Amino acid sequence: MNRGILLFGLLVVVALAVAGLITGAIGAGLTQSEEDKAAGQTAEGPFIPKPAVHLPAQVVGPVGAREHYVEFLHAEHKEREYGEEKLDEHAHEVLDEGPYQGNDFIITNTLLSSWIASIILVGVFVIGARRAQLVPGRFQNFCEIVIEGLLRFVEGVVGQARARLLFPVIASIFLFVVINAWIGLLPIYPSLGFITDGIVEIHLLRPAGTDINMPLALALVSFVFVEFLGLRMLGIGYLGKFIRVRSLGRGLSALFRFKLLDAFQGLLDFFFVGPLEAFSEFVRLISFTFRLFGNMTAGEILVLVSAFLVPFIATVGVYGLELLVGFIQGLIFAGLTLVFAAIAMTAHEHEEHEEHH
Amino acid sequence: MLETLGIHFPSLLIYLINFLLVLGLLLLFAYRPILRLMDQRADRIRESLEASERAREEAASSQEAVEAQLVEARREAQRIVEQARESAERFRAEEMERARSEADNFVSRARADIQRERDAAIEEVRANFGDLAITAAERVVRRSLDRQAHEELIAQVLEEGESLRRG
Repeated sequence: MNRGILLFGLLVVVALAVAGLITGAIGAGLTQSEEDKAAGQTAEGPFIPKPAVHLPAQVVGPVGAREHYVEFLHAEHKEREYGEEKLDEHAHEVLDEGPYQGNDFIITNTLLSSWIASIILVGVFVIGARRAQLVPGRFQNFCEIVIEGLLRFVEGVVGQARARLLFPVIASIFLFVVINAWIGLLPIYPSLGFITDGIVEIHLLRPAGTDINMPLALALVSFVFVEFLGLRMLGIGYLGKFIRVRSLGRGLSALFRFKLLDAFQGLLDFFFVGPLEAFSEFVRLISFTFRLFGNMTAGEILVLVSAFLVPFIATVGVYGLELLVGFIQGLIFAGLTLVFAAIAMTAHEHEEHEEHH
Repeated sequence: MLETLGIHFPSLLIYLINFLLVLGLLLLFAYRPILRLMDQRADRIRESLEASERAREEAASSQEAVEAQLVEARREAQRIVEQARESAERFRAEEMERARSEADNFVSRARADIQRERDAAIEEVRANFGDLAITAAERVVRRSLDRQAHEELIAQVLEEGESLRRG
């Protein structure tokens, strides 16, 4: 009987693969007429239209902002199709204003998704903690496993004494990133939205990681957290890593004694290494932001494209990959913040230690 | 360029507030209670492990004490039995000694009695000796006495009496 089920499953998979190959863009490309090919038209299957990826998050509310966004999209489309000269004055205005119409607060689909993710995240853990008892139930056990796992992760890097201090921010970053990535894999995400001309033009929901503002906000939190910890643990001496007064003094005194090599070393340390250290702190902001943003956006595009090329079956594998990617991105974001915090708390002590020798 | 990427200051602010809110809520209502509970549980487990260890040690030591007592009691019992056997032995020996001496006493008394009886009997025989001599003389007289036979007879009787006395 087991073998029967296995065989049936295999048959279903093969059937889906064949159907996907025929009805998808690949099948359409094979059966496309010569004229269409010559015209450079994209082959499209009957079910999935050619996916359109909008890099900036789409506006879903309020209504005025959304209407402006739609106008902007249309103007952009026209500009691309017919050239800038053909645009009327209004379209020019709309294009100049940009998709978001200045600095008004707007609700984008990614923001909406992040709220849902936040509510789910907080809800799960608050419910898990509210009914918490010394002898845990299954749900509480799950929450405890997650929290304990993250705590061990933090302890592994900074040791038990400091783990409790760092844990809340690190764990929250991890959970926030992972939930936001995984929630985007729900099938309602690409299917809900505002329809124009028979297709979904504005999606109601989109994973928050694909909006650059979310990784940027997390990167800012991480940056402030790391610098704050450095200042709190080492006091004002933390800034000595960036403004190397000691090296300057050493360099100048060496200069007066005409020890040119030592003078060069000291001055180089002050004028070059110090600013470089400071610069690297800020570069982290950018690397944090674009790592998460890039991975999430690429994941979204990969899902869309796989569904477009081979519907039904190729997406399954991509979904598995995306689950892994979401987890790993959370781990990387949290882990790097953790490591940078550990460095900020200890690195300078080592340097001073060396100087005493 | 920021526009094309979609960087939008108000959205950024909202994301920041959103994340900090999530962080605060999780910290207050999830991390702290759950971690406190986990610490409590760890303490509880440690305590109960220590308590059970202590209890086991106590049990082991009391077991030892009981065994020591048992050994002591056994030794005591042994001693008592030994003592009893000894005293019984002594008692038996004493008893036997007494019985033997009593028997000896009895025998010696009996012997003395016998001696006395015999002496008395000899006395009596001696006392009766004159009668015997007279009887013997009568018998001699009844026969025709001559001098020589007469003397022989007397000596014979005397000798008999002497041998009687000597036993």
